[in-house]
Amino acid sequence: MSPDNVPILRVNDLLKRFGGFHALDGLTFHVSSGEILGLVGPNGSGKTTAINVISGLYAPDRGEVLFDGTSVGGMASHKLVHRGINRTFQVPKPFMSLTVRQNLEVARTYGRAGASGPSMSDLLEEYRLADVADRPAHDLTNVQQKMLDLVRALATQPRLLLLDELAAGLNPTELDWIAERIKALAKGGLAIIVVEHLMGFIEQITDRVIVMNAGKEIFEGTLAVAVKVPEVIEVFLGGEHAA
Amino acid sequence: MLYPLIAGVLFGLYFSLVGIGLNLVFGVMRIVNLAHGDFLMLGAFVAFGVYTAAGLDPLVGVPIAFALFCVAGLLLYWILVPRLQRARDPEMLSFILFFGFSQVIEALTTIVFGTSERSIPSRELANSLSGVRAAIFGGEATNGPFQIFGLSFPASWVVAATVSVIAIGCVYLYLYRTRLGTLTRAVMSRREEAIATGINVDRVSAAAFGIGLGLAAVAGVFAPFMFGSFTPAFGIDATVTSFVVVVLGSLGNPLGTALGGVVYGVSYMLVQTYLSSWADLLPYVLLIAILLLRPSGLLGRRVRVA
Repeated sequence: MSPDNVPILRVNDLLKRFGGFHALDGLTFHVSSGEILGLVGPNGSGKTTAINVISGLYAPDRGEVLFDGTSVGGMASHKLVHRGINRTFQVPKPFMSLTVRQNLEVARTYGRAGASGPSMSDLLEEYRLADVADRPAHDLTNVQQKMLDLVRALATQPRLLLLDELAAGLNPTELDWIAERIKALAKGGLAIIVVEHLMGFIEQITDRVIVMNAGKEIFEGTLAVAVKVPEVIEVFLGGEHAA
Repeated sequence: MLYPLIAGVLFGLYFSLVGIGLNLVFGVMRIVNLAHGDFLMLGAFVAFGVYTAAGLDPLVGVPIAFALFCVAGLLLYWILVPRLQRARDPEMLSFILFFGFSQVIEALTTIVFGTSERSIPSRELANSLSGVRAAIFGGEATNGPFQIFGLSFPASWVVAATVSVIAIGCVYLYLYRTRLGTLTRAVMSRREEAIATGINVDRVSAAAFGIGLGLAAVAGVFAPFMFGSFTPAFGIDATVTSFVVVVLGSLGNPLGTALGGVVYGVSYMLVQTYLSSWADLLPYVLLIAILLLRPSGLLGRRVRVA
């Protein structure tokens, strides 16, 4: 594991175009082991695109993605999983006909990045899936599918975890509970990048946020400071609120 | 009535083999291989070559065609498919690409072999096994008709149906009893999830594409016996038939193709027997009927939007 002050992921000058649209336009940031970094911004600001590029779903058109000192930009997703980068999806898509347990078995068997880690029963217990472990994924509620998506990613023992709107659809009690789980994961040394619209949740769990707009970083620091920056207020609420 | 039913089942099992490769490729890659029938036609040329050039039992063409087209499929996958997958609408683009590919295969085969119809005498198929047959069923070591419920059926139909059952059984074993098969089913179920799980989707897809083309070529080995003759233009008809069989069973569910094949085969034989002048319309009528009545196919678990 990298020392806490040495970034495990560095993203330099990332550019991603879709036709003439620049979804990412010179994005640069880093995240260290044990840190929870929030990516926030209005819809279309490039948060999910950033996660898609880091997780290998898209190849960057320019720029560098360095994971543990190695350039991994454009590397196939499955290779990144084996190197220790995994993610969750906004809309979870588990193997629907497989049971919860079988979904995890597939992840542990084919995507394992580390040699040790929590047992399957511990993961199921910890993320409240033990009672439904032998039910097919299509029987699960939306929240349970989200937890399965998270546990599937954790089962591969990542060193960098990308969470794409994990909190959407969770009730306040569930939000508090999952916030504690995420903080515990970071305490264990996992680097976590969170994309989220729920600012209360972001404030509760992140050490630092990057505020994005039009594919660029417009602020880096704590959320408490970000909400006082006129440029940040402008992109979230419109020009007249920034004055 | 019994004769067309039994003949229909024999043909149906063969039609399952005709379609299963197309469905495997679609299930894994969401790519409609409109050149599927052309690989089947090339398989028929393998059987013809084995019989006329090498003087061997056309059945020898089965392992040759499978191996040859598995390798061709792997090569073709790495050349064509990754580019296709990067397109915004790979399913639509696959129609155009593989339609063009089908035309190229047909044109090149016509240039090399001409347009004349080719056939292989029915008794030549599995002739080398007639001794084995005599040992099992008794009688003389000839490749004469098979008796089923007192009715005579050409031995070639029975051989084609038997090989089809074996091939479908092998596909089942591959999908449900091998590591590669587990990965293949994972990719068929959820491509994105499979990638996020750490599965090398390209390698799995290449294997499925190779196996799909290999199965098409194996079906092609029996085409001269099931349809009487073949030409380079045979590919288009074979693609249409495969498509109907696959849609009948369930698009994206390779084992549903077995049921689709039998339903198609029995319908084909009944129409051939009682309304033979309408037989050419059957694939289209069945296709329209299934799309209107049950678009997800007979064994469809989920309705495809695209």
